[in-house]
Amino acid sequence: MIEVNGVGVVSGDVTLLAPVSVTAQRGEALIVCGRNGTGKSTLLRVLAGVRKPSTGTARIGGEAVVERDRGFRRRVAAMIGLPPMAPDLTVLDHVTLVATTWLDDPGAAAPLARGVLAGLGLEALDERFPHELSSGQTQLFGLALVLARPFEVLILDEPEQRLDPEHLKSVSRVLRARRDGGATLVVATHSPVLEDELADRTLRLDAAA
Amino acid sequence: MSGRSRGAVGIWRARNARTPRDRAYLVYAVLMVGLVAIVPVARAVWLSATSEAGVAVFASPAAPGVAALVVAALWAGALLLGRDRGPAVLPPFLTHALATSDLPRSDPFLAPVLRAGALVIAVTTIASVLVGGSLLSHGLTDSLGVALFIAVGALVGVIATVAWLAGQAFPRTAIPVALGVLALGAVTAAVPLMQPFTPWGWVGLSYPGNGSPHVLAVLTALTAALTTAVPTLLNRLDLAGLSAQAARWESATTHAAGMDFGAAATVYQGRPHIGRRIRAIRPAGQLPLTFLIRDAIGATRTPGRLIVGVLAITSAGVLIALAFAPVTPGWLLGAAAGLLVFAGLGPLTDGIRHAASVTSDFPLYGISDERLLANHALFPLVTVAVVLLVAVILCSIIAGIGVAEPIVSSLTIGLLALIARVSNALKGSLPTALLTPIPTPMGDLSAAARITWALDAVLLAALAGTVGTLAFESPILLIGVTAALIGVGINRWRDRG
Repeated sequence: MIEVNGVGVVSGDVTLLAPVSVTAQRGEALIVCGRNGTGKSTLLRVLAGVRKPSTGTARIGGEAVVERDRGFRRRVAAMIGLPPMAPDLTVLDHVTLVATTWLDDPGAAAPLARGVLAGLGLEALDERFPHELSSGQTQLFGLALVLARPFEVLILDEPEQRLDPEHLKSVSRVLRARRDGGATLVVATHSPVLEDELADRTLRLDAAA
Repeated sequence: MSGRSRGAVGIWRARNARTPRDRAYLVYAVLMVGLVAIVPVARAVWLSATSEAGVAVFASPAAPGVAALVVAALWAGALLLGRDRGPAVLPPFLTHALATSDLPRSDPFLAPVLRAGALVIAVTTIASVLVGGSLLSHGLTDSLGVALFIAVGALVGVIATVAWLAGQAFPRTAIPVALGVLALGAVTAAVPLMQPFTPWGWVGLSYPGNGSPHVLAVLTALTAALTTAVPTLLNRLDLAGLSAQAARWESATTHAAGMDFGAAATVYQGRPHIGRRIRAIRPAGQLPLTFLIRDAIGATRTPGRLIVGVLAITSAGVLIALAFAPVTPGWLLGAAAGLLVFAGLGPLTDGIRHAASVTSDFPLYGISDERLLANHALFPLVTVAVVLLVAVILCSIIAGIGVAEPIVSSLTIGLLALIARVSNALKGSLPTALLTPIPTPMGDLSAAARITWALDAVLLAALAGTVGTLAFESPILLIGVTAALIGVGINRWRDRG
């Protein structure tokens, strides 16, 4: 599903990502580990199509990564930083709206949204506005927005940020379920919990750099 | 200010100590701005105030009542302003350091209140000088009456400063009190018999021509009583409120310094707290309808913003209708209407701004960026059209003006202002090319270019208002401005993300 061949990123004289090669199959989770500054987020940005590699190629589903391509957008979901949030919508409104735009049956959006929120332990917060959430709840909310849409590949940058151990377990459980359902996950993380519970393959960028 | 406070503030100020050369440049810059920008404007204002038309306004029988209403509105506005940005604001770190110490808050936070108060008093005093001077220049009052009114003007500024601080110290109480002041101010303006019984009415009673020294004495006593409450008000300020206001002000000024006025305004944008149980997303069957309902319900969650927005668009409709009256300056009313529609669309276009931010991020919605933006444009488009039509038709009928031309003009201006809003939402950050100096014989024009870039949507909206009202006389101007607006918008759409 994912093929990365010698992908490296250089900005001026600075190497943001030393050339790396890795693959991940359908239904596998690729965990990307490494010290700060070794290029984890940069690799994720290349896979999400918002950063062009200086060297090498990246392909998803056998096709080149092109962010403007509708098929690619449908296939790949990404959360690298928090997604934009509308200040005038509640948590449930947000997630339902995202689901509504993807589903043919509008009536199915609200139950799907409630399911996603329940999976992440956010069901009690569904009537809150974004500015009423704590930083950890906002992180979970961002994940809920991404999980409310269909995808074949899910790219996440440090989803463990600001989460307590209990919610981290919830996230791990939800991501495992998505992986077992056939999605390919690419997760950059510093969390040993996520690595232990998710990893089918691990790419350590310390070594690569 | 105690020695401890003075020491802390001194350390803070020393971090950016200016060299004599920097100070000299600052003096030069202030002088130049004063000579080039402020003096001509001040002269124009003075000439306008002392013109026949200006004096006719100031000498009208309704002027004292209007003065009372303006003062009531000023004090009510000061109360409301204090809730979001009071006069007792210091930089965030200094706020934290001083507010978490055992110093009484009246000690370190009095200085910023005095600075802010000086500014307010200067403004109200200048306003009273303008009114009094205008009447004196035409022999409609005597020097004593003007001096009395100027003194009252200064006292109005002092009371406004105390009201501003009171709004900061009592943010919840400030709303009903401000509304009460505003309502009583309107009653006082409408019923002159009420003037002796309200503080703003006393200002009306001191109006040049019929001013009484007794009013000055009463207002002075009231001002003195209110100023004794300042230390108490300062000591009521809590750490959370002080820190929040300090952080917001710093964020807003940082954005404004970077010419990002939209982001600066967003810092003070009201946040929703009501309507959370009303589902904004309903299975409507068609996505455009879903988005229309979503944006409508979203807007009602900040009702104050929505009301202000609708009132601004309504006022614009009135101006557009009046622009077609025989003796009014149509182009000027059109420009004001364009600005009002643009401002009024602000609370109605949260969805458009959200769509603009989504289109420059990772795919989230299952529809194209174009459809997302078009769907979010429906609510402001429908609202602005309906509100403008109602206002224009009613005003035209009341004023006895033909309805057809104002209707076409208002719909054109509404549409162009919406395009300006979309373009503004897609603007992004300041292009680095604009940071390059533009040397000319008159000096570096890069600052003017940056200001034009920052305010382009506002300027184009005003221009759209003018050409919208002149559409039947000079359609070519309308076509030109429309093309410019669409061109800028398309360019930004292509460059998004």
